[in-house]
Amino acid sequence: MSLTSEFIIGFFTFFGALSIASALYITRQKNVFYAAVSLAFLGISVAAMIALINTSSYSFYAAFHILLYVGATVVFLTISLVMFRGLNVREISVPWAPVIAVVAGMLIFIDLISSFSGITPSASVSSFSLQTLANDILQNYWFPAIIIIIALLTTMIEAITLARRD
Amino acid sequence: MDTLVSYYGLVVGAILIIIGIYGLLNSKNLVRILLSSEIIFNSAILLVFSGFSLLGRIYIPIVFSIFAVSMALVEAVVAFAAIFLYYRNKKSLEVE
Repeated sequence: MSLTSEFIIGFFTFFGALSIASALYITRQKNVFYAAVSLAFLGISVAAMIALINTSSYSFYAAFHILLYVGATVVFLTISLVMFRGLNVREISVPWAPVIAVVAGMLIFIDLISSFSGITPSASVSSFSLQTLANDILQNYWFPAIIIIIALLTTMIEAITLARRD
Repeated sequence: MDTLVSYYGLVVGAILIIIGIYGLLNSKNLVRILLSSEIIFNSAILLVFSGFSLLGRIYIPIVFSIFAVSMALVEAVVAFAAIFLYYRNKKSLEVE
């Protein structure tokens, strides 16, 4: 079943608006627990947008993003916040913050676009295969994979140490 | 049509970066600073997928993002442990 272009653009606009609204809610909400819950909506929106960019190839990553990022990271942050008392944020007013944010955001964006323009476009777009991806990671990117495994192991040790309190 | 959606993704990613930097600058609460950095992380992932999709390269953003999201999980746990220790010592989440 192929999705029509109007359907994809409509859903992309919806999830784009949802992600921006969630991000604004995170930065404006006084209670950080609700802000952390809103981060889950942001993660789901970004995963949906990634899937809509290329439905045949990026759906796998969208599922991975929801499972690992939303299902692990955001749920961990949200549940852990229960340990704190006084989750209300004391508002501060920085008058130059919006200007700095727009200027810094635009500079990062322009830098990114200029970096992309230096990459040669691929002549033929190959279709996605999970087996090819697995072989690629195991053969060409085995060292980063080992680093990730060790980092996740140390995270588990750190969580146990924190839970013991002493 | 994929190209148009990728350009939309670049625009949404740029807006999310601006909101994330604004949240970083406009708060002294450690948890909100961590959440604002997560907004920037999400926008970076979206920008990478949109940019490489325009160039017709499919595997690079997937491999890059799988490692990036795994490291983001580790980073969030380590940052939260640091915040927890700060809260235990200072009894507050506010940065001085």
